[in-house]
Amino acid sequence: MAGTLALAEPFKVGVCYDLSKAYTFATPQVSQAAMDVAKLINMQGGIGGEPVEVIVRDHGNEPQRGIECYSRLSREGVFVFDTLSTPVSLAILPRAMEDGRILMQSLVGRGDAVDGTVFEWVYPVGPTYWGQMANDIRYIKQLHDDDLSDVKIGYIYFDYPFGQEPIEILKTLSQKEGFELLLYPVPLPGSDQSGAWSKMRRDNPDHVISWMLGGAHVVASKEMQRNRIPMDKYISVNWLNEVDIANIGAEAATGLKRGTNVVGGQDVPLRLEIINKLYDEGEGSGPLVNTQDVYYNTGLAMYSIIFEAARRAADLEGMPITAESYKKGLESLENYDANGLMAPITVTAEDHGGGGKTRIEMWDGETWVPQTDWIAAYGEVVWDVVRESSSKYGE
Amino acid sequence: MFYRLSGVYHSSLISDSRMFKVPADRNLAVFLLLIGLAAPFILPSLYLNSYILPWLIWTAAALGLNLVTGWAGQLHLGYAAVMAVGAYSAIHTVRLGVPWEIALIIGGLAASVIGSLFAFAALRVKGLYLALTTLAMQFVMDWVLTHSPTISGGSHASLQAPTLALLGQQITSDAGYYYVALGWCVLVTIFMLNLKRTGLGRALVAVREKDFAAAILGVNSFYYKILAFAASSFIAGVSGALLVATFYFLAAPEQFSVNVSIQVLAMVIVGGLGSIIGSYFGVALILLVPGLVNGLVVTASEELGMQVNVETLAHIPNAVYGALIVIILMIEPLGLGKLYGNIRDYLMTWPFDQLRK
Repeated sequence: MAGTLALAEPFKVGVCYDLSKAYTFATPQVSQAAMDVAKLINMQGGIGGEPVEVIVRDHGNEPQRGIECYSRLSREGVFVFDTLSTPVSLAILPRAMEDGRILMQSLVGRGDAVDGTVFEWVYPVGPTYWGQMANDIRYIKQLHDDDLSDVKIGYIYFDYPFGQEPIEILKTLSQKEGFELLLYPVPLPGSDQSGAWSKMRRDNPDHVISWMLGGAHVVASKEMQRNRIPMDKYISVNWLNEVDIANIGAEAATGLKRGTNVVGGQDVPLRLEIINKLYDEGEGSGPLVNTQDVYYNTGLAMYSIIFEAARRAADLEGMPITAESYKKGLESLENYDANGLMAPITVTAEDHGGGGKTRIEMWDGETWVPQTDWIAAYGEVVWDVVRESSSKYGE
Repeated sequence: MFYRLSGVYHSSLISDSRMFKVPADRNLAVFLLLIGLAAPFILPSLYLNSYILPWLIWTAAALGLNLVTGWAGQLHLGYAAVMAVGAYSAIHTVRLGVPWEIALIIGGLAASVIGSLFAFAALRVKGLYLALTTLAMQFVMDWVLTHSPTISGGSHASLQAPTLALLGQQITSDAGYYYVALGWCVLVTIFMLNLKRTGLGRALVAVREKDFAAAILGVNSFYYKILAFAASSFIAGVSGALLVATFYFLAAPEQFSVNVSIQVLAMVIVGGLGSIIGSYFGVALILLVPGLVNGLVVTASEELGMQVNVETLAHIPNAVYGALIVIILMIEPLGLGKLYGNIRDYLMTWPFDQLRK
């Protein structure tokens, strides 16, 4: 047994993350989840009888160091990468496409990469910001008895690509559904939003969709209180976690909503299993408090998918897993929800995003309450934008 | 012993204004150039393309900034924006079907025009006020890039660079990219080495030391400042274009954001203002040391079997790197170039100077 283990090449994932600069609001939780999932799998006998490994490295959100991480790990036989950083993901993408290595980029990077016919090696499994926005609008439509004709929707966003991306889809849907769209750009890092919110008070939109991160949510909540805008109008992008809720104040945040592709809260089966088998035994990969955060659940979802695909690759094509067989494994995922952890995903050769389902959850003062089922709305509209954008790649 | 000075004397102005006054320096430069040429055969491609290639291009860029900040003494906080102008205009030119050689020059010229146009307005103020004005240029450029999909390339503002081709030859190999970077860096270095020996270089230094004193001597300081901005912007533009063509393969606004401007300035200051060899050292320190220290710390913790949290592990290299910069600037405020100069001066007549003591 020892001999075969020594010869075996374990399945490795290159986790090149920004653990020291801009993305530290989420990377510690996500990387900890990655290591915990790997530990759990290894306790249960690994994949194809061999242990799996996650290699976590810091790139400080610098494209140059991300490329270095990618090249270095590639030489060590890694062919599945995750960056959780848009600039680094963009920098690695041309190389991964050229070298035929898998680039996972859930929730970051260019959204049009869900188009598998163009981006053969890139897998943004999970919702794109376009899909997530379409689902938010679907939710609002549901609130107004399927009629948006005299509804005003405000959109407050960071005025750079992350926040600008969904505007196109909003405009298309506004024409299609007849709602009035009001745009409120906010300069980075979102600490000054007073102008946007006092304008919002005059315009008085029925709902406010927010594409901001971290501390900017807290600033927004203060401005909302100042301008007497009720909290239940606020629908956040998936980047809003327990730390933000604590900073806003659990009481004050009541009624606030967010779109998400993972189940929030701590009663998730996979998390409970990890707490039980790892943390209770003192074997956890980091502090327990990191696991009480929705980004930990996000990480569990991302890495459950990554390892499930490896398991399927081993079942389909046997060991050792190669980039090609791994690709087949990913594309065989059908209605996979990691035991009730996230929106079910179905990855195909055309749709690398897995269907883009999300749901809306509301904070009730103590916990997150789902407001919808897992939905993927306006598929045609979203895919039109995707194809229009992806067709420009490599021109 | 190391620098043979015997027989080295200068009896004419021409001879005294040689690029390398001591043969040993020239031999060292030639030796390094030969190593540079042989590098693809010596080094594994990982080191060649992840370390040496970006180092060379950033050195060329830093030398350009050194021209305006080190030689002409004008603080520039928007250098990355000028690189962006070069990169984007070159890529768009190539996408229109123009060959790369011409596109690179157009990129450089576009950067030069924008850079000096801005300087034209900015040079009405001096010192810190000028620094703030150049910072404004950086923000204007950031805004333009993130708000005009036609320039930035649409989805998530990323623009694919067409395959680099020079002299009718498609360049796709690691060694090919490397030689392009090396060629450009050597070209800029030779330009900078010669700058010291020209009237232009002396005029720039005069402007740096005291611009009205220079004016009294008949040096038109405004003209020379604009010239410095134009020349340095040209170098920035071509470097930016080559950075995308040989290293990133794709241009995105984050690659030319304000923190990149600060980084290039740090390269020049840590390297030494007005020092050419210093720019090489400065870029190595600012660009490569964080990654290298990171690798070392990770290996060390694995070797020692320490159970260190990944987050802590990521922050140790930053602390080490910060401490390194502080220590270096405390030992020698004039930067790494001066540190090298000190060692060279000490070895110049060693061990014979020891005899006298």
